[in-house]
Amino acid sequence: MASAADAEATCCGPGYASPDDAMTAPAEKLLYTVALYTGTGIQKPDYLATVDADPESSTYSKVIHRLEMPGIGDELHHTGWNACSSCHDDGSMSRNYLLLPGVRSNNIYVVDTATDPKAPSLHTIIDGDEIKEKTNLSGPHTVHCLGSEIIISFLGDANGEAPGGYLHVNEDFEIVGRWENSMGDIPYGYDFWYQPRHNVMISSEWAAPNTFMPGFDLEEVGHLKYGRRLHVWDFEKREPIQTMYLGEDGLLPLEVKFHHNPDSTHGFCCAALSSNVIHFWQDDEGGEWKWEKTVDVENELHPEWPIPLPGVMSALLVSMDDKYLYVNNWLHGDMRQYDITDPHNPVLTGQVWIGGLLGKAPEVNGVEVAGGPQMFQLSLDGKRLYVTTSLFSTWDNQFYPEIRTKGGVMVMIDCDVENGGMSINEDFIVDFGQEPNGPSRCHETRYPGGDCTSDIWL
Amino acid sequence: MAQLSDTWTITIANQGSGRFSVDAQRPLLDTLEEHGVDLPYGCRYGGCITCAAKLTAGAVDQAEQVALNNRQIANGYVVLCVARPTSDCTLEVGVDSHDKLYRNPFLDPLEPHELKPDIATPIGES
Ligand code: FES
Repeated sequence: MASAADAEATCCGPGYASPDDAMTAPAEKLLYTVALYTGTGIQKPDYLATVDADPESSTYSKVIHRLEMPGIGDELHHTGWNACSSCHDDGSMSRNYLLLPGVRSNNIYVVDTATDPKAPSLHTIIDGDEIKEKTNLSGPHTVHCLGSEIIISFLGDANGEAPGGYLHVNEDFEIVGRWENSMGDIPYGYDFWYQPRHNVMISSEWAAPNTFMPGFDLEEVGHLKYGRRLHVWDFEKREPIQTMYLGEDGLLPLEVKFHHNPDSTHGFCCAALSSNVIHFWQDDEGGEWKWEKTVDVENELHPEWPIPLPGVMSALLVSMDDKYLYVNNWLHGDMRQYDITDPHNPVLTGQVWIGGLLGKAPEVNGVEVAGGPQMFQLSLDGKRLYVTTSLFSTWDNQFYPEIRTKGGVMVMIDCDVENGGMSINEDFIVDFGQEPNGPSRCHETRYPGGDCTSDIWL
Repeated sequence: MAQLSDTWTITIANQGSGRFSVDAQRPLLDTLEEHGVDLPYGCRYGGCITCAAKLTAGAVDQAEQVALNNRQIANGYVVLCVARPTSDCTLEVGVDSHDKLYRNPFLDPLEPHELKPDIATPIGES
């Protein structure tokens, strides 16, 4: 195997040689976030917004470009790059396309971010009907690159019923077919992350598109219409090999992240409805995968409501040095930072409030917040955390109906990487309530140079 | 019982209002769009609720829909991407008609008979 120095000298592919190397990259100057009109009452397409994140710029903290999708009703949600640090040794690859799946339309938009990073353009569309026809999949979610190719998790079959599967797309964005050889007895899909040195992929469970797209009926959890398991895959064989049944501790296990260190087997998942962090790991190569609950956010009583309010921990992210774990509680309204130096024993080191239903932070930097902290992205150096407030249009409409007139916001949190701690940056806020076509809702954010939820090292 | 007909008259009561003659065999989303009515949609197969409208008079066949629960159906909601008219209808369309579509489940739980049709307990059974 080539030494790191050799790799530096010979390669010019995307990303970075290692997580340590990524942390020394220049600070992000542009952010891309999807912004929705689906479900808002405004008959306009969803779009990719470019936000100026350069504090020296006169348009700092403003939307400087909007790339509209060709039609309405996609519900853009998560996004992913065509290439990441897993291709760092391949000089023929570059990170120049961002893939934007539409959860409701099934279309995948491939956006060119390299020709003009400030003003990305639509490169091609992987047609949603063609995906249904060729692969029997609908409800796209997570995009990961896979060497020079791409896999995307889909939550449903062509009729919106679970479990769905994985779409395999080649580097020219043509449909190859289904990626997995078997779904085993997996009932639901959602997010996934892989750690190639251990030949492992972990996938999580939300629900069938026909269950979650119309909104959240809490009663359906008891009818087992929502997930409560994690699945361990043999990554090379492309089939599941172990189920971790989380039960009541793991209702709606959503985002899955491994440590960035490619040697580590430790990873984390947030169980949204249980509002728990699930830590998983493997002690010995080839052995059982284990899990434990390491953070448990208690439900809060709301004075006027009969049912105690869960935090709804819908997202999670690990800093590039694997030292801090960030999680949200969308309904309570807090963002938390945990020191996970010992992944079995996280220590709460920071907490800030943004919106939420408990009334702790109705306003941030002079902007009224509808929604709570939901998606977030961390700078490579770990110091700036960008947080948006919308979850999914129908779920927003249930819990935060005022988001229709107020739109979403993007907030920046300054993170203390030496001693722990978080504080809301007073100079940065992007109010999507002020968008030219009316209030829109911002969701997942990425940066042109890679970020803390894109890169995997081989 | 509605008589058999090739076309029905659909009255849109909000959003500028209008009356349109539509094909009885085709989904209302398709036929109203052809008349120039600007309607929201997402999946176009009855699974995502984005196109929901409130039926205030008349009847539709929406047997293919899987998005609405029984409470939403009882409140008059129909999903236009699969609903076909079986009589003259009056509709309120778009997000303006969604006042009763969304509820906070921690504030306002569903009764067992109000769940989606495939899992609801029939009224009268316990
Ligand atoms: S467009 Fe999805 S239910 Fe009609």
